[in-house]
Order: sequence, then C-alpha cells, then structure tokens
Amino acid sequence: MKKLLSIIGLSALLFTSCSKDNDTILVEADGKVTVSFDAVFGAQDFALNKDFTSGTKTFNFTKFRYWVSNVALVNSKGEAYQVPNSYFLVEETSAVPVQEGAFTYPATKREDVVLPNIPLGDYKAIKFSIGVDQKYNDNLSLQTAELSQLNGMTNVSWMWMTSYIFSSVGGKVTENGTSKTLLVETGLNANYKTVTVDLPQAVKISSAKETKIVLNADVEKAIDGVDVVTNPVVGASKATIMAAVATNYSTKVFSVKSVN
Amino acid sequence: MTGKIAFLRITVCILLPTAVSSCKKDVPLEEINPVPHAVKLEVPGNFPTVEQDLDNPLTAEGIELGRMLFYDVRLSGNNRISCASCHRQDLAFTDGLALSTIGVSGKMLDRHAPALFNLAWAKTGLFWDGGSKNLESQAFGPLTSADEMHQDLLVLEAELKQVPDYVTRFKKAFNEDIKSVNVVKALAQFQRTLISGTSRYDKYKRGEAGASLTATELLGMNLLNSKCKACHSGELFTDDGYHNNGIDATFSDDHEGIYQGRFRVSFDPNDMGKFKTPSLRNVMLTAPYMHDGRFKTIDEVLDHYEFGIKISPTTDQLLYQDQTGIPLSKIEREAIIAFLAALTDHEFITNKKMNNPNP
Repeated sequence: MKKLLSIIGLSALLFTSCSKDNDTILVEADGKVTVSFDAVFGAQDFALNKDFTSGTKTFNFTKFRYWVSNVALVNSKGEAYQVPNSYFLVEETSAVPVQEGAFTYPATKREDVVLPNIPLGDYKAIKFSIGVDQKYNDNLSLQTAELSQLNGMTNVSWMWMTSYIFSSVGGKVTENGTSKTLLVETGLNANYKTVTVDLPQAVKISSAKETKIVLNADVEKAIDGVDVVTNPVVGASKATIMAAVATNYSTKVFSVKSVN
Repeated sequence: MTGKIAFLRITVCILLPTAVSSCKKDVPLEEINPVPHAVKLEVPGNFPTVEQDLDNPLTAEGIELGRMLFYDVRLSGNNRISCASCHRQDLAFTDGLALSTIGVSGKMLDRHAPALFNLAWAKTGLFWDGGSKNLESQAFGPLTSADEMHQDLLVLEAELKQVPDYVTRFKKAFNEDIKSVNVVKALAQFQRTLISGTSRYDKYKRGEAGASLTATELLGMNLLNSKCKACHSGELFTDDGYHNNGIDATFSDDHEGIYQGRFRVSFDPNDMGKFKTPSLRNVMLTAPYMHDGRFKTIDEVLDHYEFGIKISPTTDQLLYQDQTGIPLSKIEREAIIAFLAALTDHEFITNKKMNNPNP
C-alpha cells in the first residue's frame, strides 16, 4: 500500500512538474464524445415488436443491429482524427438464437458509443464505416475491441463465407394480409462503406465539457428501394440487393439529430 | 497537454510492473510469461517455399495443442465427433464417403470432406469454393454448423477449461486463457504441419538413394504433365485455383447456391460452376471424387474427362484436347493410374507426429 501511495505521489510530482512549462493554470485538454445512434423508422421512434407502416406494407421488427467501425472525427481544417480500436456493435435486438439455436444472445439495446481522448479542437463532421474492414473480416481469429464470434454477427447465415455480418434487420413484413419473415443483411468486403455525416455547425471538443452527438439511424431508409415482399430474405445469395442495402447505409440511413 | 498525459501513462506503466513483480519474487519468469518455441516448417526439397503466417506464427506448443484438439470429441456439441471423424489420417485426412451424415444433425452434407495436406501453401481460400480466407476462420465453419460439429463456442470454452492439461497448454501456447479464437489458431497451426512430400515420386524427384519409378509410372508422369498439369500443376499438383471441369451443365441456386461453386463467393459470372482444384497427391486414397463425391473410382474420373465433359459458358478450355475431353488409350490410362499410385505418401498417413495423441 505504501508503495502504491508513493507511486501516486511520484506520478503526481512528475505530472505537476511538467505543467510548469505552461503559462495558464487551467488548460482545456482532450475531450470525450458520446455518439448516440438513435434508431428511427421514418419520423417515428424505432421500437421492437411494434407495427410501423410504410406505404402498403406493415413492418414489425425483432432486431436492428450493425457494426460501426473506423470512426473518425474531422476538424474544421478538414483533418481527420481516427479513433483507435473503434469497433462497436450497435443494436436493438430481441434474444438472438446463435449458431442455429445452440445458444442465445440476450435481448440487448445499445445505442451509445463513447470515444475518449479526442484531441482538443473544433470538429465539423463524423465519419464511420458500417461493417468490419477486410483485415478482420477475412480472419475471425484476429481479436480487437468488440469484435467477437459470440454475438451472432458472424458467419451464422452464410457459413460458406466465414466473415462478419455487417448489418442485420429482422422481423416481419405484412402486405395485403400476407406476412413474411424479414431478414435483410449485408456483408462482404465489397460492401464495406464509409458514411460521412456533416454536423450542422462545428462543435468544440474539449475536456471542459462532454460532447454528445445524436444521430438518427433510419431503418426505413436501410431497406429503401428493396422489394422486401418479393425478397424478404437478403444475404450473400442475393448479392445485388445486398449491395443496394449497403449503399443505403452509406448514403441515407444516418443523419444528425442533435449536437451538444 | 496530450504529451503530458502520455508521459504520465508511461510513468505509471514503468512503475506498476515493478511494484507487481516485486511481490512475486518466487515465481520463475517463464511461468509468468511463457514464451512458446518457434517452429519452422520442414519443407521438402522439391516443394516451393512457404510463407509464414504472421498473425498465427507456428510454435511447438501451438502445434501440439492443435493436434490434441483435432482429435478431441469435446469440439462437437454432442461430444461424439472430432475433426478426425471426417478427416482420417489413413485416408490422407478425408473420410472415404461421398457426403457424410455423421454430423450432429445427422443430415447429409452438401459437400465432400476435402483431404487435408500441404495446407500451408493453400493461399487462395478454403472450402471447395474458397469462401474462407484462412484456416483460422475456416475452422469456425465445421465447428459451429448444425450439420457438422454444432458446438456452442461458449460451451466449448467451458468444457476445455475443465481439463487442467488444456488450461496449461493454452497458457503455454498463447499466454492466454482458453478462448475459441485460440482453439482455431491451434487447429490451424497443426493443419499447416500436415505436409505430404514423401511419396515414391518425391524420393525419385529428389534423387534419393534407391528411389526410382517404373517405365509405366514414368510414362504416366509424362502423360500427366502434358494433359493434366495445367490445373494439377507444380509439385503440389494443384494450381490452388478454381475451374469448371465440366461435371455439370447447369448451376441451380438451390441450397444457397451450393452448385454454383466459386460464383457464390466472387459473384463473378465467369466463376459459375468453378471449384477448387484438389491435389493429385494421395489421390488413390481420397475416393470418392469431386465436390460432392459423385465419382466412386479414379476410372470414373478418367471416364468423365474422356467422355463426360458437359459444356456450359464457363467449362474450362483446357478440357478441349483435340475433342471435347481428354482422350486416353488403354495403355495411357493404365500408365496414368500407375503414376497416381506413386503419389501415395505412406509415410504421411502413418506419421506418428500427426496421429491421435490420446488413442
């Protein structure tokens, strides 16, 4: 215990001795940003097990899950700060049977992603990718951040492609009294795309105040343009549709709700 | 300010381990931080050089652990089958069946179990369509598939943790606790050591004392060189590529496109119906043949190449040799089969470094 105290003491000494070089006493430093991916369906708040109407179709969802990776913040000079180890599973899901029912991933709601140690500065945009980059997508034994085989977002439904499922929307779609099971998923290296969301005005990130960026993640836009009654199941065997869904994620699913 | 925080972190990093290690003076260093022993593959003299896998370097401890896991039925959900159930050493690590039904679900598989050897050179994808990029990722396929081993990865970790010997071995090989990623890494390491390069052909090729091939075998070798080696190329007897060898004329998208071969991985129409070229090494041990095991004997295979080529837009041009197919006289056919038998590696299928360590 004495030793520990002396470490703290010594560290404090070193710490303070360094700050003597600075003129000001209170210095703003690197800040923390929380990015909240708030799921919506068009103008409505998204929720599981609730009916949403879109044209002649009614949707009822059991899951909305996607990997957010390689997050970067772009400062007012246009320089990007790449957040290290940024692999996050954003999700709102009922219990997921994993490995065809061998075990169950519990019902989970996670929309906040915390980005620590963002260099002090004014930032005008956030960039991120949906899915997992090629290095990790091609080799499931490489581990970093939240990447895992144990959450049902890997090779379950496309066993012949041992890789990550980038995004997954599941539930039920009903039209003219006929219901179909809906499962629209993306994956494959070719569909790993970057999203750039411009903030309405530059936001200062510093230690003085935590910054919160709230993004809308619109499920309706994710499946926009897809005839989900004809093709209720989209995966690697429906490559063209899957690519269109991936493009939706990169171009229209995400927008800014608020920054403060 | 950033620099200051970094400096503080470095200071703590330097000081904390000192504090911790001073409490554990009695424990030898290698037990705290075991360093596994690096292993270099013994590459046969007539083989191409091999690239090390930098993400999963071979170690003596990793290879031996992988060997134990390969033969361990704990890897399956019902604790009845191991990797070796479908990959038997005496059959060059295949199973002799067209389509197996011994998986946990009992359902017949869509694909024939491939032979396992010379995988350290397999760099263009695993599975018949190459849908897996490396042995590590590939292992998750059969491990978790309901029709194969159907293992829950969390249960697998828990079951292995019950075995103190495994706890020690994982620690020694990876300096980590038992994790499913280390299971697949160990399996991949063991599989990369499955090198088959001691057939009679190899010994002849390397000019080893007393090694020879008969006149018929030599005729077969020359015929093979001129008629088959475009795909079954080099000393590995495979180009590690994908070809449509004319076994089907149409490629339905049934069973999630299983008959479409490479197409369902690349989505390139030029890849429709193409499958990985298997090596001709040990081919007399690895019947039945093709991705679905449809040909029972090597004669049926040669019949196919001579008379049975089905034409579709992607049928390989190499199969048009004066006619549609590869014509062979009776003598030529016998010579080729004689040479193929000289590619059987008896030392490989009896090598005690590769057999079940706990028989």
